[in-house]
Amino acid sequence: MVNRPDVRYPVISKRVVAIVGGFGSGKTEISVNLAKYFVFTGHSRVTIIDLDLVNPYFRSREAKAEMEALGIRAVVPEGGNFYADLPILLPEIKGAIEKSEGKVILDVGGDAQGTRALGSLSEAFNRQDYEMLMVLNSRRPQTADVGRSIQTIERIEQSARLRFTGLVSNSHMIEETDPDVLNEGYELSREVSRKRGLPLVFISVKSDVLSRIDTAIFDCPILPLTRSMLKPWEQNKSTES
Amino acid sequence: MAGKKLMKGNEAIGEAAICAGVRHYFAYPITPQSEVAEYLCWRLPEVGGAFVQAESEVAVGNMLFGAASTGLRTFTSSSSPGISLMQEAISYMAGAHLPVVLVNIIRGGPGLGGILPAQGDYFQAVKGGGHGDYRVGVLAPSSVQEAVDLMILAFDLADKYRNPMMLIGDGMVGQIMESVEFPETNREDNDPIKSDWALTGALNRKPRVVKSLFLNPDLLEENCLLLEEKYKRMKENEIRYELYKVSDKNRLLIAAFGTMARICQTAIDELEREGVSVGLFRPISLFPFPEKEIYAEAGKKNIEKILTIEMSVGQMVEDIERCVKGRKPVEFFGHTGGIVPTPNEVKDKVRESLGLKK
Repeated sequence: MVNRPDVRYPVISKRVVAIVGGFGSGKTEISVNLAKYFVFTGHSRVTIIDLDLVNPYFRSREAKAEMEALGIRAVVPEGGNFYADLPILLPEIKGAIEKSEGKVILDVGGDAQGTRALGSLSEAFNRQDYEMLMVLNSRRPQTADVGRSIQTIERIEQSARLRFTGLVSNSHMIEETDPDVLNEGYELSREVSRKRGLPLVFISVKSDVLSRIDTAIFDCPILPLTRSMLKPWEQNKSTES
Repeated sequence: MAGKKLMKGNEAIGEAAICAGVRHYFAYPITPQSEVAEYLCWRLPEVGGAFVQAESEVAVGNMLFGAASTGLRTFTSSSSPGISLMQEAISYMAGAHLPVVLVNIIRGGPGLGGILPAQGDYFQAVKGGGHGDYRVGVLAPSSVQEAVDLMILAFDLADKYRNPMMLIGDGMVGQIMESVEFPETNREDNDPIKSDWALTGALNRKPRVVKSLFLNPDLLEENCLLLEEKYKRMKENEIRYELYKVSDKNRLLIAAFGTMARICQTAIDELEREGVSVGLFRPISLFPFPEKEIYAEAGKKNIEKILTIEMSVGQMVEDIERCVKGRKPVEFFGHTGGIVPTPNEVKDKVRESLGLKK
């Protein structure tokens, strides 16, 4: 995952990292891959918190087994609530933010509605040394251009009662992602970065696409990504390059 | 909305309705369909439309009746229990010859069930969930792009036959994200004022009535026969299905619809690499059902068995049996309650059916 000399990998020194963005921007894949990245770069304690209270399927809780196999602690609803679409805010989430050692990643639900859950934790959050990253995907309607992206950022900040500290460029079309899509997203993120004064913390690139591109075109760190949220018909297809 | 977008099935269904000229949408939220309403609540006002969140699905059904009576394109989306609540209005709309589109993103049932994907509403959609001699046209997409294309087609067919159309997708169709493209559409040809039945104001013309009440049995039977004649025309003209890897090498034919068919495709590809040849018959129109086409495929000499696979305990399989007319054995495999059969399970079932080693 982190063995390419030509790739500049992300450096995230903060302990708590919230992954936030519009609906369907790819927050869960970013969260799961970031957790794996922390493990591969030598962090022995990594916690991932599923704070997605708005999405019914394809949540990071579905990668629980994969996470736990890597020694990552997954804070997700248990029992029947695992499958529920109820606004369950686990009491251990606040504890994990405030007290857990090592890296903590929060996979937050989409848009202002989904971020409301984070807002209820904003006090605990504000006491931490945290990173709150906005995931941008230029192929999604609510972050399709600079204007809509900034609107979405403002709506989310209001509902989270927290300020973003950086951006993640995650423009993709799942298996149809090509360099043009990556470039388009990179350009969008640079523009949003300039207008909002937020650093572009990394661009995420699917591992198989990463092996086909000249990484020098991106003047920012790159997070290689392997899909965890597979559709049922993709079950036996490995996306690892 | 030019160019390819990455959209959730539910959002794409909403945008497809806008492409089809819809500006009036009534709904009540329910998982796993709520993103249709979430999307349209901000998107419809951008194009001068309106979304009314009703107090219940019963109200939604009757709002649809009212809006459709004026000849305007209108639709709702819901999930299983919500569609159950609308059945009375659906029967009324069918009886009153109203063009309307209903979307059911199916969750596990019966009752409140669960929120995971299922196909257990096949009977409800295809056999008529409400009362009386009526049918709704039923289309079942298997991808986000197909959901868009069939959604637009559903509005055209609803107008063509003046009949309710239903798009049914297991929860997966609503929740998956895939790339999708929308056609440029021009709905100016769909002006309700030009119709000869819509309630557009009776100024300078004879008043019209849109109703399903016929107390005189002769008139009621006449209305039912009129409906029946429409369904016959639908059977003649609106059969849709897709074949995948169907050839004279196939030993077995799988029948599956919706995303279940895509899981079967993965299994078929993998079985092919193992030297086991299997084809797929995917009904797209569930009513009218591709009866003759399934009968013909089942009759092919190389086909030993038909295997129906569903996210239910077996509903479409009854139609498959009906159409195969005993020409070949029909077997069934499925999961329900939100458990989705995996490609490996499908492969195991195929091997078992053909007496091959697992």
